[in-house]
Amino acid sequence: MLVEISKLKLNLGAHAVLRDVNLTLQKGQIYGLLGPNGAGKSTTISVVTGLRAPTSGSVRVLGLDPAADALHLHSRIGVLAEQAGFYDWMSAGDYLLWVARLYQKNLDKPGIARLMGRVGLDGQSPAPIDTYSRGMRQRLGLARALINQPELLILDEPTNGLDPRGRREIHDVLLDLSVNQGVGILLCTHLLDDVDRLCTRIGIIAQGRTLLEGSIADLLSAQRAAVRYRLRVEAGEAAQQLPAEITLLARAGDWWHVEIASHIEPASAWRKLLYSGIRIDEIHREGGGLEELYLAVTEAKEAA
Amino acid sequence: MNPITLIARKEAGELLMSGRGLAWLLALSVIMSVLSLLLVSNTELSLLDNAQVVYMVMGTVTALGALLAVVLGSDAVAGERERGSLMPLLLAPVTPSQIVFGKMGGQVAGWVVMYLLSLPYVWAVGSSGQNLTQAVAYLALFGTPVVLGFGFLGIALSARLRSVRSALLTSLITLMLLASPLLLGPSLRQSAIGKLFDAVNPFSAAVNSFDSVVIDSQPLAMQINRLAISLVWLVLTAVFAIRSVRKMEI
Repeated sequence: MLVEISKLKLNLGAHAVLRDVNLTLQKGQIYGLLGPNGAGKSTTISVVTGLRAPTSGSVRVLGLDPAADALHLHSRIGVLAEQAGFYDWMSAGDYLLWVARLYQKNLDKPGIARLMGRVGLDGQSPAPIDTYSRGMRQRLGLARALINQPELLILDEPTNGLDPRGRREIHDVLLDLSVNQGVGILLCTHLLDDVDRLCTRIGIIAQGRTLLEGSIADLLSAQRAAVRYRLRVEAGEAAQQLPAEITLLARAGDWWHVEIASHIEPASAWRKLLYSGIRIDEIHREGGGLEELYLAVTEAKEAA
Repeated sequence: MNPITLIARKEAGELLMSGRGLAWLLALSVIMSVLSLLLVSNTELSLLDNAQVVYMVMGTVTALGALLAVVLGSDAVAGERERGSLMPLLLAPVTPSQIVFGKMGGQVAGWVVMYLLSLPYVWAVGSSGQNLTQAVAYLALFGTPVVLGFGFLGIALSARLRSVRSALLTSLITLMLLASPLLLGPSLRQSAIGKLFDAVNPFSAAVNSFDSVVIDSQPLAMQINRLAISLVWLVLTAVFAIRSVRKMEI
């Protein structure tokens, strides 16, 4: 287990910031930590990284107590904080070389260039960081987080400011790290699309409490949240022939917006649709289940 | 490479290669040139003797060094926090002490450059008199702990107050209070409060030592108490800075 948090509580002065946070992350897993603004996600990260000591509860990261073994832990994890600051007067290459030395890593200039290429910053080395766009700074922040070949990567809004191609590239890097190198990734984001594409496990926290935690498939199935799709069908198809598993939400020309309950296997629903004689040209998943689940859980908490 | 050396090299590079550092050195040169010109004129008119002029230059260099130290110290932690670069530093395998001493390494570089820059001015106003060598040595011996102590104080306040502006304001007020012996008249310094203030104030210790060595030609043995005050100041501020960075909240 890379991260194991149980009944975490943290008080800052008289204010209880974290009341009951639970989280488990295994090797090679990408875990999405979700929650509204001010829910306690960043504070949880600060406890996981050893920057804050918990008031009570158990926190183990890579088998270590983060508050007591922060120095050892920091050499084994990589973190991309939400506000990724750098020494702007340095070039990206010089900065990464400096960070590598701080981590006692013998990376040479070609090694730094390879790392920069991996996050899509090829050929940017001589330019001072001051000239970088927000997206480029995000990429540089990710390169910094990867510099020590971490066993655990903690990312706070890693795709903020990236264009669609950039997001896809970062997704590919994270999937490669997770699947091929066994790196555990704790992803803190508001972008449910990122979570949908990357994560196998999520935790939703609000007001300092974990409301829900588990694998996405199990949670969606348990919540019976519907998943939405956008279909392009052959012109003139009639919606009356839809099987019972599929609910038509809206129709715009050849495009149908439909919903399938999460406990139903999408493949079987499409098969029934085809058997009913409707010819499908394209299927696109839209936010769907995860978004519904997130909204249902956080709204229920707010109402309570 | 040791993290302290790495951080110190980065800090020194940022200070000495940046526009801010060059502007500071230019300002220092202008201030020292004007001061030296005025003091040499006074010497030529026999209004001040040579030793007094050297003593005044030494006090001014120490005060300017302390001013540089509080400016750099106040920015050291709070400035990094405001620019978002503090978190990556705290998440690196580096201890709070290493961060503090690394930051201080940059300030040492700034002070060394300032000290070297001041030497021609000390020579220009004091070359025709006695005790020039002692003046140069004592400026290093007493000026260094006082200046670096203000640097540590700036770092400590910067970590505790979380804002460059608040840290700078508090550090400057402390500097002005401690540097007030430069502005106090002889009669006030001879009063009970003045004597008590002199006995515990590192800035007074340095200035009185300059006075004792350059004007009164007294030996090092007479300066041990004053040196101890300066060193205690340095150690206390260093401990304060390390504790402040260790207890700092993100």
